[in-house]
Amino acid sequence: MIHLKNVEKVYRTSSIETLALSNINLHIQKKEFVSIMGPSGCGKSTLLNIMGLLDAPSQGTMELDGNPVNNFQDKALARLRNEKLGFIFQSFHLINDLSVLDNVEIPLLYRRSSARERRLLAQQALEKVGLSNRMSHFPRQLSGGQKQRVAIARAIVGRPEIILADEPTGNLDSAMGNEILSILQQLNSEGATIVMVTHDEAMAKRTHRLVRLFDGSQVL
Amino acid sequence: MIRHLFKLIWNKKGAHSLLIIEIWASFMVLFGVLSLIIYNFTNYLQPIGFSYDRVWVVDLSNNQDTVGVAAKNQRIFDMISAYTEVESASRMSNNTPFSANQMNNNVTYNKISAVPDMYETDDNLYETLDLKLLAGRWYRKEDQVSKFRPVVLNKVLAEKFFQDENPLGKILSKEDKKPFKVVGIVDTFKAKGEFMSNAPAIFVQNESMSDWVQPILIRTRPGTDATFEARLVKDIAALAPGWGIEVSYMTESRQNRHKLTLIPVIIFLIISGFLLTNVALGLFGILNLNISRRRSEIGLRRAMGATGWNVTLQILGEMWTLSLFSILIGLLFAVQFPLLHVFDLAAGVYLWAMVAALLTIFVIVTLCAWYPGQQAARIHPATALHEE
Ligand SMILES: Nc1ncnc2c1ncn2[C@@H]1O[C@H](COP(=O)(O)OP(=O)(O)OP(=O)(O)O)[C@@H](O)[C@H]1O
Ligand SMILES: [Mg+2]
Repeated sequence: MIHLKNVEKVYRTSSIETLALSNINLHIQKKEFVSIMGPSGCGKSTLLNIMGLLDAPSQGTMELDGNPVNNFQDKALARLRNEKLGFIFQSFHLINDLSVLDNVEIPLLYRRSSARERRLLAQQALEKVGLSNRMSHFPRQLSGGQKQRVAIARAIVGRPEIILADEPTGNLDSAMGNEILSILQQLNSEGATIVMVTHDEAMAKRTHRLVRLFDGSQVL
Repeated sequence: MIRHLFKLIWNKKGAHSLLIIEIWASFMVLFGVLSLIIYNFTNYLQPIGFSYDRVWVVDLSNNQDTVGVAAKNQRIFDMISAYTEVESASRMSNNTPFSANQMNNNVTYNKISAVPDMYETDDNLYETLDLKLLAGRWYRKEDQVSKFRPVVLNKVLAEKFFQDENPLGKILSKEDKKPFKVVGIVDTFKAKGEFMSNAPAIFVQNESMSDWVQPILIRTRPGTDATFEARLVKDIAALAPGWGIEVSYMTESRQNRHKLTLIPVIIFLIISGFLLTNVALGLFGILNLNISRRRSEIGLRRAMGATGWNVTLQILGEMWTLSLFSILIGLLFAVQFPLLHVFDLAAGVYLWAMVAALLTIFVIVTLCAWYPGQQAARIHPATALHEE
C-alpha cells in the first residue's frame, strides 16, 4: 500500500541543515495497523507528512499502491490526499467557526458531491464515532476527547483507505486515549490501513507492528 | 462550496462587522458618485439643441440713463443687424444660453400643469441659434395681431401636455395673462449646456423687446474677430453714452458652465478615490493578517484535499460573499432614492449607478484579495499543521 524506499529528508534553512530522516525503507501492507515511536525530534511527523503527501522526500521514493508519486503535480496530490488519505492530528485542527457537522463535511467539499450527500455521509461518520448527538455543536463546546472524535469522523468521512494519525492521543488523558484507540482499532478491523505516531508503549502494543525511529533512522 | 462560504462568513459576522460596514460605506459613496457621473453623462449624450459657435451675447445696461431708452434700444439693434459681419441678431430675456439667469413659469393645459423654463424672445432667435424645428413653425410678426400669444415648446414639454395628440394649435393657459397658442415644436433646448438635463422649455413671443434693455444675441460670420468686437462696442457707446456694454462669446461661457458642472464631480471623485484607496489598503492589511492567523486552517484544508487554487478561491470567495452581504444592505438604502424620488433623477440613472458601484466593489475586493489569496495557496501544509 505505502512503500518508502531509501527515503531521506533534509530541511534546509539559510544557516542550518537538519537531517530529519535518512535511509528509511518501510513497506506498509494493506489493512495493517502500524505504530511509530521514537524520541521527540526524531522525525516521526516528518515521516508521516511524507506518507501523507504533504511533504516530498529529499531523496528516495514514496510509492502509493505501487505508483511513485515524486513527480505528481499539486492537483494530483490533492486528489490523492482527498480520496485515499485521512488525517488525524494531536491538536485536532477543527475550524472553530464551523459546527461539528460542517467540520466533518470539509473533505467532501473538495470532490464532486451534493449537499445532501455530504450531510448524509457526515452524519454517518459522526454516528460511527458516537457523536450523533453533537452535530450542531461548535468545537469550543466539546471536550478534548470529543474534538478528537470529530477529527476522526472528518478523517473517515471520505472513506479513505489509509488513516495517518500523528499522536492522536497526545492531548488526551488515558481514558479518552483508550477510547480513541478503540475507535481506530474498529476502523482497522473494518479494513482501514492505519499509521499512528505515539509516545505510549501500551498503545503501540495494541497495534500490529511497531516502527522505532532514532535520530531520523529506523532502528526496528 | 458557496453554502460553506456563507456559513463561514455568517458564523463570523461579529468579527466581520467592521469590514461589512467599510464595504457598505464604499458602496454608498460609489453609488452617489456614479449616480452623479451617469446622470451627467446621459445628459451629455442628448443634443444641446442649438448652435453656439460664432454666437456672441451683448449684455447692455442703461445705468442711470432713463431718457429714450426704447428708442436707443431699437437703434442699437438695427445698427447691429445691419453689419455685414452679422449673419443674424436676436433679442431675448436675460436667461440667455450658458448664463446664470433662470426664469420659469407655471403653464397649464387641461389640468396638466408644468413649470417649464421660459424664454421670451423675438422672431429671430430661431435663426440666430439655429434651433431644430420638429413640427410647425417659429412665431413671426403676423402672430402679434392674434388674441393668443404664439409659443414654441420643446419636445419633452409637448409630450407632457399632449402625449400622442398633435400639439400644434393647442391653447395653453397661464394664470390671468393672455393665453398661449402652440405654433411649433423644437427638439431639445439645453440652455445651460450639454450637462443640463433635457428639461421642459417654452419660447414665448415678445413683441415689445425695445421697452426694456435686453441682451442681444449675434451670430457672426465665420472669421469675425476681436477687431469687430472693438468696433461694435465703440459704435454702441456712441449711440448710448454711459451705458454698460459687455460682449461674451458663447463658446467661452459654455466652457465656464462645464467647469461649474465638472469641478464638483471631480472633487467628489478625488474624495471617493482617497476613501476607496484607504478601504482597499485596509482590506488588504486585514486579509494578510487573517491569512497569517489562519495558517493551520489552510494547512488542514490542503491535507483534506484542497489544491492551491482551491485555497485562493476560498479567500476570494469569502471576500465576494462578504461584499455581497454589504452590498445587499447598501442596496436597501440605494433603492430608496428612486422610490422616494429624493432627487429629480430618472430611475435608470440609479439603476446603472447600482450596477456600476457593485462591479467596482467586486473589482476592488478581488484586487485586494488576490495577492493574499496567492500567499495562502503557497502556505506549506506540513509546516502550517505543526505550528501552534
Ligand atoms: N519545517 C521545518 N524546517 C526545519 N526543520 C524542521 C522542520 N520540521 C521539522 N524540522 C526538524 O526535523 C526534525 C524532525 O522533526 P519532526 O517534527 O519530524 O519530529 P517528531 O519526531 O515529530 O517530534 P515530536 O515528537 O516532538 O513531534 C527536528 O529536528 C525538527 O527540528
Ligand atoms: Mg511530531
